Amino acid sequence: MVMAANQNDGHRTTVGRYLDQDKVRTALDAARSFGASYAEVRVVALTESSVAMRDGVLEKAIPGQELGMTLRVLADGAWGVHSTTDLASLPDQIESTTRLAKAVAKRRSAGERPKALAEVPIIQDETHWRSKLDVRHTELDQKMELMNDIYRGASGHDDIVSVRTGWSDEHIHTELMTTEGMDRVWSFQRSLIHGMVTARKDGEVVSYRTRHGGQGGLEVIQQADLVQLGEEAQRAALRLLNAERAPSGKLPLIADKDLTGVYIHEALGHPCEADLVAAGDSCLDGKLGQKIGNELVTVVDDPTIMGGYGAYPVDDEGVNTREKVLIKNGVLTEYLNHRETAHHFGVDPNGGARAQDGLHHPLVRMSNTMIHGGTHTDIDELMEDVQYGVYACGTRGGQVDTGRGSFQFAAQEAWLIENGELTRPLKDVSVSGLTLEILKNVDGLTRDASLASPGFCGKGQTVPVGDGGPVMRISEALVG
Amino acid sequence: MLPEGAEDRLLANANIIADACQTSGVEQWDLIGFQSYGHQLDIEAGKITMAAGGGEGGFGVRVVDGGRFGFAHLVDVAGAQRAVEQAVAIAKKSPSVEGFVLPSEQPAGRVGGRLDRAVLDISPEDLLEQADGVLSEVKSLDERAVVTGGGLGVSATAGCLMNSEGILSAGMTTSHGIGLQVSIEVDGKLTSSYQGQSSRSLLPEIPDCVSRAVHWAQVTQNPLQVESQPVDTPVLMTSEGFSPLFSMVVPSAMTGEKMVRKESFWSDKMGQEVLNPTLSIHDDGLLEGGMNSGSRDGEGVPRRRQNLIEHGRLSGMLWSTRDAAQQVADGRIDAASSTGSASSGGHQSPPSTGCTELFLTSSKQGMSMDALLQHMEDGYVVNSVMGAHTANPSSGDFSVTTSSILKVEGGEIVGSLKQAGLSGNLAKAMNGPVVLGDEVRRQGSYSSGSMHLPNVLLMDGLRINPA
Repeated sequence: MVMAANQNDGHRTTVGRYLDQDKVRTALDAARSFGASYAEVRVVALTESSVAMRDGVLEKAIPGQELGMTLRVLADGAWGVHSTTDLASLPDQIESTTRLAKAVAKRRSAGERPKALAEVPIIQDETHWRSKLDVRHTELDQKMELMNDIYRGASGHDDIVSVRTGWSDEHIHTELMTTEGMDRVWSFQRSLIHGMVTARKDGEVVSYRTRHGGQGGLEVIQQADLVQLGEEAQRAALRLLNAERAPSGKLPLIADKDLTGVYIHEALGHPCEADLVAAGDSCLDGKLGQKIGNELVTVVDDPTIMGGYGAYPVDDEGVNTREKVLIKNGVLTEYLNHRETAHHFGVDPNGGARAQDGLHHPLVRMSNTMIHGGTHTDIDELMEDVQYGVYACGTRGGQVDTGRGSFQFAAQEAWLIENGELTRPLKDVSVSGLTLEILKNVDGLTRDASLASPGFCGKGQTVPVGDGGPVMRISEALVG
Repeated sequence: MLPEGAEDRLLANANIIADACQTSGVEQWDLIGFQSYGHQLDIEAGKITMAAGGGEGGFGVRVVDGGRFGFAHLVDVAGAQRAVEQAVAIAKKSPSVEGFVLPSEQPAGRVGGRLDRAVLDISPEDLLEQADGVLSEVKSLDERAVVTGGGLGVSATAGCLMNSEGILSAGMTTSHGIGLQVSIEVDGKLTSSYQGQSSRSLLPEIPDCVSRAVHWAQVTQNPLQVESQPVDTPVLMTSEGFSPLFSMVVPSAMTGEKMVRKESFWSDKMGQEVLNPTLSIHDDGLLEGGMNSGSRDGEGVPRRRQNLIEHGRLSGMLWSTRDAAQQVADGRIDAASSTGSASSGGHQSPPSTGCTELFLTSSKQGMSMDALLQHMEDGYVVNSVMGAHTANPSSGDFSVTTSSILKVEGGEIVGSLKQAGLSGNLAKAMNGPVVLGDEVRRQGSYSSGSMHLPNVLLMDGLRINPA
């Protein structure tokens, strides 16, 4: 058995760890004896809860405990992986997983490089980002009361047919042990509250979503004026009832912080993920050091921004996190890397390895991705020169084809800009383009930049992310 | 692949949770449990990059007391008592829904084709050989083509559902799936196509999706130079291109809850014509070999085949036990009962309402691809879209992007576009002139359930905006 149970927490060992270090070391030694050049065991224990309310009434509350473990073995330059909820089965999986890696390695052609990992500091430590108000101790009544703040702000109009509110929080505890001697434990929390306001009039049905959250506990939610969030969502939903379809064509576009964040996440962040670059599936392959955007544009990805929804203390390969400057004044300066891609490109890992949970292996992922602020004072200054364009706000998500470098993202609401003024409200605005063209078309950024509302990113695995920036002007984008 | 005794262990663990429920003294309870095992390969840059295996599972338990319910999920049954106590505590804070009781045992027929022993026998080495064959096939179809992403996988899942009212259902399912992103780069110009396929039974060594992926990466090469001018035009959407939008917009519009709450664009339209009168939609919860069909739904109610839209007229909606009781109790509808449409996406959430195997059919003979092109005369063919998840399910409005689009003139494909926007309202477009193709393919979806869709020619209501 790898685990030793006690009464307080069914899976914790007597020293507060989920992994029995001695037994895992033995298992990792066994991996070496079977021919592994590297092996790791990562366990993630999630204590999570979600709540859903509709029109101020509790629909469901779901507390849960999830536990997963992934064994990853590098042998003969190829990966074998075993994931399980049965932690006790680890010793039985070492040989078969190593054999799996070797079977993959045998298929490598003569010219192909075996996979290897970049060197990193070998650390044994514990890092716990303690929340001021631990979500695990937050009562359901308290969560419902906060959710009802959004409901109170959003309801109370004849055309509002429903207000759904939601809550999710999680405490993430991770332990990682490797054949190199890495033995790290880290934990942190995330909290999120959201609302969806649906309005209906004359057969027209529209919805508007609002979100607030970040890394941390209850204090993250308490920081927000939730009634105001609800009121703003109500106003937006009612505006959408009377909004026109957006014009189609290539137009000047001004994006608020939310949409700027999604734009930079989709258009630049994903193509900067080095696993995609190495796989030949990124339009930024071979472009390091080249100017790919307007010199106004500086973009960072930074998991150390405390409070950001994409923040984390240590990456899922045990590498310390740091800010990555992806573009500096329009020049592509760095990819997001994990240890394997860092070795491939001959650079140091930069803490970009993230796994969805204990049952998934780490991929190269974004964290908190932002464009730095520019020189314009405010949106009015950005709009001054726009004769006919669109101001788009809020996000309904986006998607990218990293190989082609084409992307799409959708706004929650928008306005037509005519002669430098906002005129009519618009709906169903989406923006698409090609990364290498649009980055050059960014021609105005306000000074003030910050993370916007929290989001989620899918890449086979789903991870929380933060995106943001200033208000941004693009001289020409395909609006539909 | 499946360890010996997996199903028995699952049931034994479920009984531990059941005992905890009974000890707690709640009126009613139900629980679901899953345990899956599988093998999986990742492919990148034309190579197998990782082989993985493993098992995962868990339990979800729901308690019902006086019309109030609470739910909790867990992995290890050592925490059963705690999970049940959490669920009971939540139930006490939940509103009482008059008339909400868990279903009693009713006879349910067996749905075959959901377990293929040949899949159980697939070893990691077998899967590696299949991947080798797929990679070779891609090269043989086009020397320039590279599988830049995707993978293959097989899995076996033991599942069980039991409740305090005597329902006990247990069984095993298998699945075999493949997904491939194929790219072709010529002179720095890259085109690509993602295609996938999955089945409860063993897929052919080289599934059809392999040649489709290569084909679409080929035909989108050398895009035409076109003026960036939006145009309202007929659009022929392949099953693969149509599915993401259809699954985002249509299934949720047909849930009883959204209908009676007036959150569906089809609210208040029961009996009225909402689609082209040649079109029908049904949900076949009893489909042999379906990925989401089965003898019982997520609450244990027998599944059924249900007509939802018949000859264009709205004729049915989807209900789970709780949603039906809630809406009747709230006075939004006089009577409603479960249609066997409670879907359970996994052990981490209580059952919700959703479709299983949704079919879009036509009373007219389906047309071949060539015949559809001839019928369209001028327009576009779209094989995939980006951003379907941004479609508005409340209204049916969408505005997405495609890089897998062909221009058609005089019934002939004249070339591809590099990129274009595609927008419209799906519900309205399907209420206009629509012609369906003759070959139905199962697609995954953004919602619960599978979408069984042919190619769909929408003659009115869509706009193409070339980049």
